[in-house]
Amino acid sequence: MSHIHIPDGVLPWWLWLTGWLVTAVLLGLASRRATRSGSRRAVPIIGAVSALVLVSMSSEIVPIAYHVNLTVIAGVLLGPWLGMIAAFIVVLVLALLGHGGITVVGLNTLVIATEIALGWALVRGGTRLFGIARVRPVAAVSTVLTLAITTTMLVGVVALAGTGAATRETGALDAETLEFRNPFSGGLFSIGLLGHGHEAEEEHEAEAGHEDEGGDAHAGEDAHAHGATLSVSRFAAVVYTLGPIGWLLEALVTAGVLGYVGRVRPSLLFAGADGLGRTPRIGDEHGGR
Amino acid sequence: MDVTAVDRSAISGDTLLHRAAPASKLVAAGLLLGAVVAVNDPLVAAGVALSLTGAGAAVRLPLRTMLPLALYPALFALIFAFAAAPGPMTGALVVLKAVTAALAVVTLMFSTPYPQVFAPLQRVTPQVVGDALLMTYRSLFILAEKFADLTRAVRLRAGLSARQPIRSAKATVRALGGLLLYSLDLSQREYDILYLRGYEGGLRVSGKRGTDRTADAAAVLYAALILATVLAFRLAAGLGGYTWIVMVAGAVDLATGLLIGRRRS
Repeated sequence: MSHIHIPDGVLPWWLWLTGWLVTAVLLGLASRRATRSGSRRAVPIIGAVSALVLVSMSSEIVPIAYHVNLTVIAGVLLGPWLGMIAAFIVVLVLALLGHGGITVVGLNTLVIATEIALGWALVRGGTRLFGIARVRPVAAVSTVLTLAITTTMLVGVVALAGTGAATRETGALDAETLEFRNPFSGGLFSIGLLGHGHEAEEEHEAEAGHEDEGGDAHAGEDAHAHGATLSVSRFAAVVYTLGPIGWLLEALVTAGVLGYVGRVRPSLLFAGADGLGRTPRIGDEHGGR
Repeated sequence: MDVTAVDRSAISGDTLLHRAAPASKLVAAGLLLGAVVAVNDPLVAAGVALSLTGAGAAVRLPLRTMLPLALYPALFALIFAFAAAPGPMTGALVVLKAVTAALAVVTLMFSTPYPQVFAPLQRVTPQVVGDALLMTYRSLFILAEKFADLTRAVRLRAGLSARQPIRSAKATVRALGGLLLYSLDLSQREYDILYLRGYEGGLRVSGKRGTDRTADAAAVLYAALILATVLAFRLAAGLGGYTWIVMVAGAVDLATGLLIGRRRS
């Protein structure tokens, strides 16, 4: 559960809009860096690694609703800047296939990009310290650390969202009493089919003490005041209980895959990230700029 | 998540929605997403989801392939709803929002080839991002097929067995490692192709016009009507007790859509 599986319209607009704005700025910086070092080199490797992450994400472990992410591997291969572009592409394609909301693409990109950047930094630091021969344990520990940090980011996002808008007055659900207003409680005629709906409505509102004149913001404050917000502690309890199972699985897969690559073609580790500063091949001095 | 099925339907399908211009379908999808963001009642959300399914059935989109994909986010939304929602009705609203949004985007993707969906995005994103987006989608099908081949080969060699989970896990990890090496080789080949063709940045996608103006108008009007309904029920306090009507209307839409779809076949 490393990225947000929260649908559209649940998080407050200011939160997802901020996510989009920060993503746009970082994406601009990452693109400028990628173009400067040669888009001809950057485009295929971003495409291939993003597709690899998408293929791995498309098969989930159903009982715990977890799928392998390979984000740390993507970080090792791409580095933080190309990884930022790959994170955006992966999240956008997933959202277009119905996996995650379109509005939360910005926030999800930031979570995945953090995972990629942290994974890259930790594995790179670890292999420099202990040598490429110990890439398996380094990758496993880095993956667990990375996922623990990004899961905490996710809880932070829900904590920020829990301040109101997510559970504003929800129509049939009374935000104050948390009771579902049964539309058939007064019979078909009294709910307004033949013109008595308003009386029934007003009566209900008078009973519940529901004053809606203040609009959405007011209703949001009411909902918050009465505890009808997202339950951050329950959410944290669930993700910190299910999360470690996923972290362990991801760590084992990441360690296994990077160990395999380190054994058969060690030169590929950090290839994309290091390739940004490398001298281009003869005849490709401009790198497609 | 069968990505190849989405592409097959988008390219070879011949429904009313396939004949509409990609721009109209993108506008319609945007309006429907606006409705999902604005909806604040589980009965209204259920009505919209039923109506969308009915519309898909009426134009004879492959619902059997579409619905599992659209219902997939419900699994994750359910966990989020269980973990964070303050009550069962808010939880139901969260799950219904996930399913309705997924239905809207899946309908778009099942009826529009991906370059046409990405073309407008290319105009607003930096060039490298737009190009990498197209390259990702191209590589995705190649890698998905390769991964299926690799796991099939491992299974045929009795490497994947429920009785031997550790051996199976090792085989899967080796398959993923092989896939990673293959993907890097693929990127090298793509680089060589771009190099030979003198790529200087900017993969162009030519825009496609619709062949049926009625289909364009129908898609946009339908989505606008859904958004107007959702906004009316959100903004007009007096309509709070009538939300069940939207769900009934959605059920009627679904029944009618199924009937029309069956008659056309």
